Amino acid sequence: MKPIILHGHERSITQIKYNREGDLLFSSAKDNKPNVWFSLNGERLGTFNGHQGAVWCIDVDWTTTKFISGAGDNTCKLWDCETGKETGNIKTMSSVRTCMFSYSANMAVYSTDKAMKQPCEIFIIDVRTIDSSFSQQQPILRIPISGPRVSSILWDNLDEMIITGHESGEINQWDLKTGKKINSTKEHDNLINDMQFNKDGTMFITASKDHTAKLFDTETLALLKTFKTERPINSAAISPIADHVALGGGQEAMDVTTTSTRAGKFDSRFFHLVFEEEFARVKGHFGPINSVAFHPDGKSYSSGGEDGYVRVHTFDSSYFEYNFDY
Amino acid sequence: MPAAEEVKSSWADEVELEGGSLPPSTEVVENGQKIVTEYKYTEDNKKVKIIRTYKIEKRVVSKSIALRKTWKKFGESSNDKPGPNPATTIVGEDVYMQFISSKEEDNKPEDEGLDKLKALGDKNVVKCRVCSGDHWTSKCPWKDSGIMAGKPLDDKKLPVPGVPGAEPGKPGGSKYVPPSLRDGATKRTDGPNMPRRDDNYSAIRIANISDSTTETDLEELVKPFGPIHKLFLAKDKQTGLCKGFAYIHFKFKTDAAKAISRLHGHGYDHLILSVDWSKPSNNQ
Repeated sequence: MKPIILHGHERSITQIKYNREGDLLFSSAKDNKPNVWFSLNGERLGTFNGHQGAVWCIDVDWTTTKFISGAGDNTCKLWDCETGKETGNIKTMSSVRTCMFSYSANMAVYSTDKAMKQPCEIFIIDVRTIDSSFSQQQPILRIPISGPRVSSILWDNLDEMIITGHESGEINQWDLKTGKKINSTKEHDNLINDMQFNKDGTMFITASKDHTAKLFDTETLALLKTFKTERPINSAAISPIADHVALGGGQEAMDVTTTSTRAGKFDSRFFHLVFEEEFARVKGHFGPINSVAFHPDGKSYSSGGEDGYVRVHTFDSSYFEYNFDY
Repeated sequence: MPAAEEVKSSWADEVELEGGSLPPSTEVVENGQKIVTEYKYTEDNKKVKIIRTYKIEKRVVSKSIALRKTWKKFGESSNDKPGPNPATTIVGEDVYMQFISSKEEDNKPEDEGLDKLKALGDKNVVKCRVCSGDHWTSKCPWKDSGIMAGKPLDDKKLPVPGVPGAEPGKPGGSKYVPPSLRDGATKRTDGPNMPRRDDNYSAIRIANISDSTTETDLEELVKPFGPIHKLFLAKDKQTGLCKGFAYIHFKFKTDAAKAISRLHGHGYDHLILSVDWSKPSNNQ
């Protein structure tokens, strides 16, 4: 397969996300302009100019009209997807680490870092109408986190609770009506970099610095599967059409210069969802992969790396013909 | 820049400048392909023509996707033409999905295993049919090249320095020792049996290289023999051209010996290489 290389960022990619139909691919990096691309031919639709710091997280709503981004400049911004104009701007007390729209996109959640004497906090906001008063609007709910900070976040499909992954490896469920913690589990020993749902949202996969990716049940937080590797995992995604899991990682960016590229293992790795066994690899990046995402039709996937490139891979027929031996 | 242009006096240069305006870029759409032709100057002022061919595909998509296709570009891309901008969208080299059959294979540390095998020296486990080297025939670097034709490698005849019996101090059999080889002889001797410093053991000298050779060319030439410790290509300080010889330090002596036996007399870039063990310099 010939990957399309998207070179729109000057610094390392932090997150990539497809919209619901998969025709657009959003990417954010430690430079301050999130990009949006046509996933089919790699054409850049535009850039969202306005942030002043590293953009840590992005999300797009299901109608592809609203786009949210959180950055290290202590703001969380809302954008119009069609024009790339900034529509809403929320000032926070520390950098915004995670953000996500609820499934209905009536609400959004963002979390801030524990920094500058500010505690880590989760905010739920109403994003139905975004106008001039938006930035003054009070959040619907604030959940202060006293323990380890939130490093990844997910909404459940009914917009009733959120799932947070923490720096310590802990995973918590929060009820939005009461703002209380309803369930908690600690299966990881280290920071959870990324969490992604499967297609119907019944399970989610976590990617952790402790060299494992784990599959959990959304409802009960029961651990279902563990995918072991020998390097930190930065991102994990579940194929929407096959029982496959894509993992992206590599050793930490700060250690890259002291090891050879071969030892770094910067390839995307494909595991079988059920048998927890690796069956394929794809090379390409010069640094660790920070984010992977499957196209919603399952026929292509993208990865964004510390090298600042996003690579869009369309699977060959060999991938679809491959049968796992068991 | 205008000042620089005035200085130019050669009429040939002026003619060049007159014809210097670039032809406009054209875009032709025909039978499902868009061909974009562009002209531009490279860094060293050479005119180049760039032809890009795009395949135009029609796809049936849902209304919402079709609508999004008509969106105007914004932000940094607002000035881009329709279609991918080659500055931001690059088609990468072919990559393949490597399917892994068994998990054990994958965890094997490749490099250390190879090094260990190399260190074993003559006790070859694997023997190549082409060059008798210690690798599989299919992995032989000489498989397709003509270097090995009619010149099979004989390990025993390799001029490996420092092997017992070849010590210059105690020549086996003959009682006569040439003065130049006796203990305490002057250091101006040179011969293949010269004792040399340890770090010189696996160094070879390649002579009669053409002056257009670069380090990369050289590396490609010697890389197939084994891991290289150091590579030195003598270059003219002024012109930067190769002076005609180079030194290669291999990690393993056997690799160096192999390289000598195979590269000596090998035609490279219209010249015939002369390869031997590196001799220590006279002022040693």
